[in-house]
Amino acid sequence: MKLSTFAIALVFLALPCQAQDGDSDIEALVQELEQVKGRLAELEQLRQRVRTLEARLEEANRTSASDDMERRDAALASTSSAPEPEPPAIDIGGALRFTTFANGSVKGQRGKSGLDLFRLSADGSIDNILLSAEYRFYPFMDTLHHGWLGYEFDNDSQLQVGITRVPFGILPYAAHNFWFGVPYYLGLSDDYDLGAKYVLPNGPWNIQLAFFKNSELSNSGDLGRYSYDVVSAGTARNEESNQFNARVAYTIGAGTTCSHELGVSGQWSELYNLDTERRGDMWAAATHLDTRCGRWNFQLEAARYDHNPVNPAGIGANRIELGAFESVYEIAPSGTVGIANVAYNFPLSGDILDQLTCYNDYSVLYKDGGGKDSILNTTGCAIGVGPLFIYADLINANNMVFFGNGSLADGGEDEWDTRLNLNVGYYW
Amino acid sequence: MGYTTESKRWVLLVNIRLTIAAALIALLAADAATAADYAPHTRELTVVSWGGAYTRSQIRGFVRRFEREHGINVEMIDYTGGIEEIRSQVRAWNVKWDVVDFELFDAVRACNEDLLVEIDPSSLPPAPDGTAAARDFLGGSLLPCAVGNVAWATVVAFDPEAVERAPKSLEDFFDIKRFPGHRGLRRTPKTNLEWALIADGVKPERVYSVLDTEKGVDRAFRVLDRIKPAIRWWAHGEEAVRLLETGQVTMTSAYNGRIDTANADGASYEILWDNHVRFRDAWGIPKNGENIEAALAFVRFASSTESLADQAKFINYGPLRRSSLEDLPEDLLARLPTSESNLPRGFDTNSAWWSEHIQELQVRFEHWIERPFQVPRDWPSR
Repeated sequence: MKLSTFAIALVFLALPCQAQDGDSDIEALVQELEQVKGRLAELEQLRQRVRTLEARLEEANRTSASDDMERRDAALASTSSAPEPEPPAIDIGGALRFTTFANGSVKGQRGKSGLDLFRLSADGSIDNILLSAEYRFYPFMDTLHHGWLGYEFDNDSQLQVGITRVPFGILPYAAHNFWFGVPYYLGLSDDYDLGAKYVLPNGPWNIQLAFFKNSELSNSGDLGRYSYDVVSAGTARNEESNQFNARVAYTIGAGTTCSHELGVSGQWSELYNLDTERRGDMWAAATHLDTRCGRWNFQLEAARYDHNPVNPAGIGANRIELGAFESVYEIAPSGTVGIANVAYNFPLSGDILDQLTCYNDYSVLYKDGGGKDSILNTTGCAIGVGPLFIYADLINANNMVFFGNGSLADGGEDEWDTRLNLNVGYYW
Repeated sequence: MGYTTESKRWVLLVNIRLTIAAALIALLAADAATAADYAPHTRELTVVSWGGAYTRSQIRGFVRRFEREHGINVEMIDYTGGIEEIRSQVRAWNVKWDVVDFELFDAVRACNEDLLVEIDPSSLPPAPDGTAAARDFLGGSLLPCAVGNVAWATVVAFDPEAVERAPKSLEDFFDIKRFPGHRGLRRTPKTNLEWALIADGVKPERVYSVLDTEKGVDRAFRVLDRIKPAIRWWAHGEEAVRLLETGQVTMTSAYNGRIDTANADGASYEILWDNHVRFRDAWGIPKNGENIEAALAFVRFASSTESLADQAKFINYGPLRRSSLEDLPEDLLARLPTSESNLPRGFDTNSAWWSEHIQELQVRFEHWIERPFQVPRDWPSR
């Protein structure tokens, strides 16, 4: 409104002066005055018209603002808080890791360093559909670590279908260190197979039921895999098939600073022999305690396992062949496993370290039939510095596969071997 | 020297012209007076506040009336406090937030950093009885560039049906052995550090002197360590209520007004007033904005006796003008943090102290949250 009136005033003031000639022009001046008065009246009318239009415009704005307010009130009433920014549905991550180690059993070798792996992962959910997958590139192989699709039900239970972790014993890991413990090398920890798993958390209870058609790779002779399975890459060509798992855990003191998870696990599967085309079986059972009290963590697990393959004549059943990471080794067909781990998470106040957890993981296999026990004892620390995560482990092994002439089957040697292992990973 | 006919005619013509010009200028002046004090292009004002029941109380208390009377649409958006966004907008000369509802200590920081427009207390509307605003506002509520609006409190709230026994003191909140269950806390060091020290035996009046030392801060974090695994963090005030609603926590810190509003909507939560911490909010106007005059008009409007009293009818936060309290009903006054029964059970946050220390403590606090207390269950897969 101000601008319109101001423009009219400027236009008027800019009108040229039209002086009349002669003294007798008084009359003409009066006429001019009348004309100006008429123009002023027109301007006043114009101004009134602008005001009317502006009033209508303001009314329209008020109505619009009022509508907005009503909508806003309705929104406020229906939602008790402001909407949070949506996180990305699928999180893409990865890691680049390097490792260096010195092995006491290899004389003349000062140690080795190099790339451990590069991996990419995808995790997330769209509505109730869940996704988790990870693909790994090692210098000597690449493989799908895991990959499954899932559905989350209204009671927070999940159904996962694909290559997923076998629910057995202490989860997610029965060790704190990078090299894990004996159960991993027996295929009884951090094992991934192809099938379906149902996970039901219910207050202090956690129940997991699973069926796996076979191990993570359809070809049981393919050793390019992450977790250890019975493989058909040796003399006795067996493969895991139709495996059932059940794991029930109860947490005492859940949500407090001192909680204790007690659990039992059972596993049964067929061992199909590709030569005899007959089905043997394998079973395992475990009970565990996972205590997190203050900054301490204590883990205990006892497990029994037994393999009963139906091998061709001439091939004994006193050794079972397991494979992964492009290698195969033998284990005792049956035995008892023990785990005793302790860890402490240090309080930190500086700006550099994000996590410092030190631990001692002890695990042992008592082989049926009198074979020499296999023992792993690892003392180390896990250090988190921003995106870097470092494992510094001193591993002492006795009659353990990958350490000198140690073996998880009968035989081997009663010698302690030491390895210093440092793994540095960049995770995103 | 006599006037010639020509000169007479010219003088007459000039007089007529001047008369008409004066008339038009008068019209122009009349137009200017109706355009209030803000730029003519201002049709929308962005006001930043705390969301949920609090923003609703402002809309119902005075925002709607301001829109009607000034013909300006007010866009209310939510935030969770802090001055980082304002600093960024002001320094970039890209100011999208016209008016901000600050916690007082954030207003102090923003003021000290020269991020806010100065507000002359004499420009604020006087009380209905003519008392100047500077005398009508409670002490400490007016800053050189911020105008206090309400006082509220952070309290412990719980659902009596969800706990085996009701907590009686702040110490009970930190005792998860005797009072098991998860705890909700706002994701900020403010209040949490003070409460941790009080739960550890420090008197409220000594809290800030203890926090002035590195040992004192360490002590507070050690106390928070005790309940860290049981903590569920919240940012928006409504999230605290939601934690209670969904049974995710048995007790939570919360803004007192949010709990009262939830109870008015049918919930039956209880407030533990023991050692509640009182805060003040204040209006501030970021510099370098396009709508500063309209923003000033909004702050003046929102700071009136009537506006503050009207807001209090929709949320139990205490108006910072004495004149606004006069018309409030007794039962409402009794539920305010500043009521006679509640006042001695809490203490005022030290805004000056927090304005100095929030930056360093926020960094340490976030670090502390990210660092696991217990041995983590999920490490990077090997």
